[in-house]
Amino acid sequence: MTAIILDGIVLGLQFGLLAAGFTLVYGLGGVLNLAFGQMAVLSAMAVLFSMDAGVPVPAAVAIGLVTGGLLGLIFDQTILRPIYRRQGEARVLLSLLLTLGVAFMVDGFLNWRYPTAALSLQISGGPIDLIGVPMRRGSIVGSVIILIVFGLLFAFFRGTSLGRAVRSVIEDEEGSRLVGIDPALMLRIILIFSGILAAVVAVTQSMIRPVTVTAGFPITVFALIVTVVGGLGSVTGALLAGLILGVISTLATTYIGTFLSLIILLVAAAVTILIRPSGLLGVKE
Amino acid sequence: MTERFAEATGTAVVGGTERHAAQSLRSLLIPVLAIGAVLALVPLWLGDSRVLMTVAILGLAFAGYTIGFNLIFGSTGQLFLCVGALAGIGGYGTAIFADTVGLPIPVAILIATVAASLVGGLLSWIAVRRSLGVIFTGIVTLIFALAFENLLLGMGELTGGESGFLIESGRDGLLAGRTSAYFIMLGVVLVFLIVHGLLRRSHVGWAFRALRDDEVAAELAGVDVSRYRVYAALVGSAMLGMAGGIYAMSQGRVSPTTYAFSEVDVVVVVMLAFGGIGSLYGPILGAATFTVINEFLVDFGHLRLVPYGALIIILFLWIPRGVIPTVGDMMRRRRGPRP
Amino acid sequence: MLEVNGLAAGYQGNDVVHDITFRVGEGEAVMIIGSNGAGKTTLFRSMFGLSRPSKGTVAFDGEDVTGMPAQRVVRKGLRFVPAERHLFPRMTVHENLSLGAYPKRPDPETLSIVFDLFPRLAERRRQHAGTMSGGEQQMLAVGRALMSQPRLLVLDEPTTGLAPKLAHEAYEALAVLRGQGLTLLVAEQQVPLAMAFTDRGYVLENGVISLEGTSQELAADPRVRSAYLGVT
Repeated sequence: MTAIILDGIVLGLQFGLLAAGFTLVYGLGGVLNLAFGQMAVLSAMAVLFSMDAGVPVPAAVAIGLVTGGLLGLIFDQTILRPIYRRQGEARVLLSLLLTLGVAFMVDGFLNWRYPTAALSLQISGGPIDLIGVPMRRGSIVGSVIILIVFGLLFAFFRGTSLGRAVRSVIEDEEGSRLVGIDPALMLRIILIFSGILAAVVAVTQSMIRPVTVTAGFPITVFALIVTVVGGLGSVTGALLAGLILGVISTLATTYIGTFLSLIILLVAAAVTILIRPSGLLGVKE
Repeated sequence: MTERFAEATGTAVVGGTERHAAQSLRSLLIPVLAIGAVLALVPLWLGDSRVLMTVAILGLAFAGYTIGFNLIFGSTGQLFLCVGALAGIGGYGTAIFADTVGLPIPVAILIATVAASLVGGLLSWIAVRRSLGVIFTGIVTLIFALAFENLLLGMGELTGGESGFLIESGRDGLLAGRTSAYFIMLGVVLVFLIVHGLLRRSHVGWAFRALRDDEVAAELAGVDVSRYRVYAALVGSAMLGMAGGIYAMSQGRVSPTTYAFSEVDVVVVVMLAFGGIGSLYGPILGAATFTVINEFLVDFGHLRLVPYGALIIILFLWIPRGVIPTVGDMMRRRRGPRP
Repeated sequence: MLEVNGLAAGYQGNDVVHDITFRVGEGEAVMIIGSNGAGKTTLFRSMFGLSRPSKGTVAFDGEDVTGMPAQRVVRKGLRFVPAERHLFPRMTVHENLSLGAYPKRPDPETLSIVFDLFPRLAERRRQHAGTMSGGEQQMLAVGRALMSQPRLLVLDEPTTGLAPKLAHEAYEALAVLRGQGLTLLVAEQQVPLAMAFTDRGYVLENGVISLEGTSQELAADPRVRSAYLGVT
């Protein structure tokens, strides 16, 4: 049982980071980035191709992170330009449709051109003992990386004036403009972050199981589910919801079955929308 | 109630005087019968190829799906991203009721259609009760679609899981033959058009337009927005279920991919966006166009998604109202201002 | 310092305010009074970049800022506190104030001035802005605006929902700041209070400026008295 819960936490941390990247963009810019999973996959491919070209693993990972950040920037400068021109619901709707279009284009191409590509980072060394449970080294390393990244995120948002500025845009966009903050610039920063976070998830996931080109849409779906439960624009909410859903998912998969476990997650998200649309820690409309 | 309404070919049961109803009927029947006549020629052309006839039947099924989606989204602005799932209730429902339960096929189709209708109506009712906006309605229905897909995969005993369900009933029936299946599907699609057309011309259609344009104003004008939304969902979902069920019987098998989001919803959205969201004949244009396009792309496997993705972007950026309304606008502008 | 000429603004093509022309000189305290719906909020929003005016010009310190987005206008040395305040609800009083100084770090001296003016804020430094009362939120909104040491402070209905005692306190605090060189532009419905603390005023009625003059002149004007001072 402890082993399952620990596995659930490992999964939960991944969920949390995915949701963090997704929820920041949704909470700050009102943009639903349905191509988020593809950003993760493309970053993973960058790492894969670098490694195949002989680049040592740490450098390849760095390339992957940079790729993620660049993808976020490219998104901001291209596909999101027409989306920014709308406000409110029109913006969310258009972002949903346009990013879905991009997602399909990327997914279709990758699956056709590199159907078998998969990123898998082997962490050498035997299992590590955690409170009596032998955990795979890859799970531990990946989880530690995610925890560090979360720590960095919290430090950024609470401790730096830029981080506070970003939060203020999520809190009240007009209010942030009234103190001289440019929401478009903040959104660009957040999109770059979002891309990097997607890359981190792809890399850490590959330490546990291979990340294939088909992982795009499942990643986006998970990001959406956890974001909905955790609340818009809240990184803490993302982490909390991620951990809860990670544990529930692992328990359900073990005792009930894979498909029904996914249904439970989906239902959790639906119930959250129906009962408490702002999520666990989101901004109440 | 909605079932019988659809079957009662063309008589305007809702609103309007008897004479008004007859006039509406004529101006609607003529284009619809014209479309029917043109589409009836397809078997003459493709009749020899079983494969191509199957494609044509699928095209008609998609036309049916798109008309249903048009009624739900185009008329009342409810973003139902579970078109495939609702059609799947019709398809799997028919298969299960016909084979496992042993009911006669028309009865199975009827029950499955009602089931789809009720589920769609329920989703709409929930969305209305919880005041879910367009986005959250979309997310909730997407969740339902994904849950349904996983349900099909998970309940292998009942549904055949990933490999699907081979339908034993009706192997010698009307829906097994390619031409007869085609004409049955065509008839159903034409009925859908007539139903939608009549709804639009009735006071129901007026209510739809009012609530889509300005919900607050509509409420003030006395339109019970919630009720009309649910009506639209009930009728539209019935169409989805029926089309899904008939298609299933004409294929003799169903599998999760038949009704998956990436197979159905994406395509339906593109078809409707292309044809014209809210336009009556848009779905026919969209379905015809993309069935043909899809045939040319079928050898490319996953690469097919690339043009679909590109089209979604292009359509929603530059031709958001779809081809038929945009062309209509252009023609109106060319004619110049009315004196 | 602030010059508005022929400004018109509204929603979706329909102008709510027309041909607005007025001035605020350095060191002055000017009021714009008018009843609900006269267009004060529309006017201010279009002047300070929260929406775009359809006609006319706005100049601050001689520089044309017409249609400039809010985040750029406020960097020129003015601060606008709208009626809705737009505070950051899940951030503390301290964080809200700190952001007022963006992009600079909050100046400790300025912070202590703000806390002197509004002692209640000092008591609630770590409280989340969203949990405070209306009066406290108003003080916080003004305090946040002051953190950047603006030369012009624009307030849209600063005393709405405030108990009379608090409203008086707020204006007294503003008078103190005036003494230190702050220029003030206020839109008010609570006319008597505004009149006591301002030099000049304009009356906005149905989207146009119908009267102008010194505050004393307006206070004595019979039309103003009957419409806004409840004197028959």
